[in-house]
Amino acid sequence: MSDKDDTETPVITETTPVLNDGNCEPGKNPESADQSAKPKNKPELVISTRRRPEVKCASDLETPEVQEPVSKDVTQSGWGYWGSWGKSLLSSASATVATVGQGISNVIEKAETSLGIPSPSEISSEVKFVAEETNTRDKENSLAGPFGVFSTISTAVQSTGKSVIAGGLDALEFIGKKTMDVIAEGDPGFKRTKGLMNRNSTLSQVLREAKEKEELWTANEVTMETDKNTHYGLLFDEFQGLSHLEALEMLSQESEIKVKSVLNSLSGEELETLKLELEQLKEAFSLAEFCDEEEEEQKGDEDFTKEITELFSQLHVSSKPEKVARARNTAYEWIKAMALAEKKEGEKELEGENTEKVSKNSVEAIHAFAIRSLAELTACSIELFHKTAALVLHGQKQDVTALQRSQTLSQVTVVLCKELSSLSKEFTTSLTTAGVKEKADALNPLITAVFLEASNSASYIQDAFQLLLPVLEISLIENRTESPTHEQQVLKPLSEH
Amino acid sequence: MEAIWLYQFRLIVIGDSTVGKSCLIRRFTEGRFAQVSDPTVGVDFFSRLVEIEPGKRIKLQIWDTAGQERFRSITRAYYRNSVGGLLLFDITNRRSFQNVHEWLEETKVHVQPYQIVFVLVGHKCDLDTQRQVTRHEAEKLAAAYGMKYIETSARDAINVEKAFTDLTRDIYELVKRGEITIQEGWEGVKSGFVPNVVHSSEEVVKSERRCLC
Repeated sequence: MSDKDDTETPVITETTPVLNDGNCEPGKNPESADQSAKPKNKPELVISTRRRPEVKCASDLETPEVQEPVSKDVTQSGWGYWGSWGKSLLSSASATVATVGQGISNVIEKAETSLGIPSPSEISSEVKFVAEETNTRDKENSLAGPFGVFSTISTAVQSTGKSVIAGGLDALEFIGKKTMDVIAEGDPGFKRTKGLMNRNSTLSQVLREAKEKEELWTANEVTMETDKNTHYGLLFDEFQGLSHLEALEMLSQESEIKVKSVLNSLSGEELETLKLELEQLKEAFSLAEFCDEEEEEQKGDEDFTKEITELFSQLHVSSKPEKVARARNTAYEWIKAMALAEKKEGEKELEGENTEKVSKNSVEAIHAFAIRSLAELTACSIELFHKTAALVLHGQKQDVTALQRSQTLSQVTVVLCKELSSLSKEFTTSLTTAGVKEKADALNPLITAVFLEASNSASYIQDAFQLLLPVLEISLIENRTESPTHEQQVLKPLSEH
Repeated sequence: MEAIWLYQFRLIVIGDSTVGKSCLIRRFTEGRFAQVSDPTVGVDFFSRLVEIEPGKRIKLQIWDTAGQERFRSITRAYYRNSVGGLLLFDITNRRSFQNVHEWLEETKVHVQPYQIVFVLVGHKCDLDTQRQVTRHEAEKLAAAYGMKYIETSARDAINVEKAFTDLTRDIYELVKRGEITIQEGWEGVKSGFVPNVVHSSEEVVKSERRCLC
C-alpha cells in the first residue's frame, strides 16, 4: 500500500482525456466516410461495455485498509478503465512474467510504478483467463458475459499491444483512444469481438450483468448505506435506466428486422431509391458534433431546459423532456446550495472553528451526489429516447419526416452529452473547492470517478441514440408506403391542420 | 435503496386505458397521488421492495403498460417475462369491466409457455356513488378465472398496499412450493442477493415450512 500515493496521483492528469475521449469520439465520425460511420461508433460501444464490467472485476478484489469506503469504490472504478489497458499492456509487454494483478486496480498501480514487474502476491486467474480466452476465442460461447467481452477484447489488444506499447507508458492517458484507433484499423480479433457483440450481447445485458455483480458485491461485502450511494450501476438501475434501455433495444431490434425484410422484398430502382434515403438518415446519425468544448461554457440555468424543450417540440412527439430537465436542474441547485454552504464554512473557519471534519464529509457528499446525478440524468435521457422510439413507431402521424426527426435527435444527443460534460465540470470544481484541505490521494480518485462516470454516461446516451436509427428507418419506410408520391406528403399535413 | 432481497418478481399491470394503472402504481411506489397524468407511452418501469415477513424482502419490478390500443404490440412483449399481474378495471366504467375477458384471452396467448398469477382489481372504489360494477359480479368473474378480487383507490390510498403485497405473498408461496421455479431465460422470478448468513437460515426455514404444510 506504500505505493498508493505514487499510483493515485497521476490520475488527475488523466481525467480530462477520459472525458474528452468519450465526448470526442463521435465527433470524428463526420470526418470519416459515411460507411465507416457505423463501425466507427462501435469502439464507443466496446469501450463502454468493457468499462462497466471492470467495476465488477475490481469489486472482486479485497481491498484491505483503505481509508474511507467511498474513495475505495472510486479508486476501483476509476482505475478499472485504465487498468484493463494496463493489464493488456502488461501481458503483452512481459509475456514471460506470468503475473497479472488479481484486481485490475492493483495491476495498474503496478503498471504505473514499475512496468511489467507486478508483485507475485497478486497473481490470479486473470492471466489464465485471458489465455484461455485466447484459446477458445473462436468459439462463440466465449462471450458468455461481460467478462467474455472484456477478455476477448483484451486478447485483441494484446495482439496489437506491440504498437501500443511503443507509445510508451507516459502516453497512458491517451492510450484508450490510441489503442482503439489501432485496433479499429485492422485487427481481426477486434472485428470478431465486434461481431460477437452484435450478435450475442447487448449493451443492456452487459450493463445488467455488471450491475448484478455490483449488487452481489454490495450485498455481501458492504453493509453501509453510504457505499451503495456511489455505485453508478445500481443507481442507474434504480432510476430505471436499465429497463428503459432494454425496452429501447427491443424496439430497435424489432425495427431492424422489419427494415431488413422490407429491403429484401424490394429490387431494382425502388430498392436503390430507398437505400439512398436510408443513407441520408444514417448520415444524420453520424453527424453529432461533440468537440466544440469551451464554446459557451457558462450558460444560464434555463438554457438547457429551453434548448431541449425546443428540440423536442420540433420532434412532434408527445413525450416531453421534463424529467431530464428536472434532474439536471436539481443537480445545479444542489451545487449552488453546496457552494453557499462552503462559503459559510469558510467564514466560520476564519472565526477559528475546526472544519476539517465537515469538509471531509462534504467532499464525500458531493461525490455521492455527483454520481447519483449523472446516473439519474443518464437514465432519464435513455427513458426519453425509449419514449421517443415508442411514439415514432406508434404515435399519431405527424408532419415531420424521419430525416428531420433524426437530425433533431442528433442535436438532442449533443445537448445531453454537453450537459453531462459541464455538469461533471461543475461537480469537480465543487469537489476541488470543498476538498482544498484534503490530500490529493483522497480527492483525486473522487474527481476521476466523476469524470469517468460522466464519460460512461455520455457513451450510454450515444449508444442509445444509435438504437434509434432502425426505428427512424422503419418510420421512413412506413411514411413512404403510406404516401408514395411527394405531393401527397406535402399535402397531407395541410389537410390535418 | 436496499440491495438485499430474497427474490425479484416482475409484475405487469394491464387493463383498459384510463382505469388508473399508472396512478395505482405511483401510489404504491411513490406514495402519492397524481391528479393529472399523461397517458402512458408504451411501457413504464417502477420498482419497490416489499417485506412479506420480517426480514424477508422481495423486490418488485412493476411494468406499467399503456392501455391504449396503438401500443398493444409493445406491451404484449412484456407478458412473457412476468410472474404476476394486476388486471385493472374501473368500477365506474362498465366497458372496462367487460373487457376483462379480452385482456385475459390476450395474456393467455402471449404468456406461453409460462403462466402469470393474476389478481383482478376494481379500481377507483372511492367513487362508489358512480359505481357501475357490483362487487358481487366482479368477485364472480374473478372466481371463474381463479383470481382473487380486490377493490382499490389510488386517490384515497385504499387497499393499494394490500393489492400488491397479497399478490406478492401468493407468488412467494408458489415459489416456495416449487410450483414456480426460477428458469434460465425467464425474467419473471429471479433470485436475490442475500448475505450468506441469512441465506442458510432461509433454507432451514423453507424446509420447516414445507413440513408444516
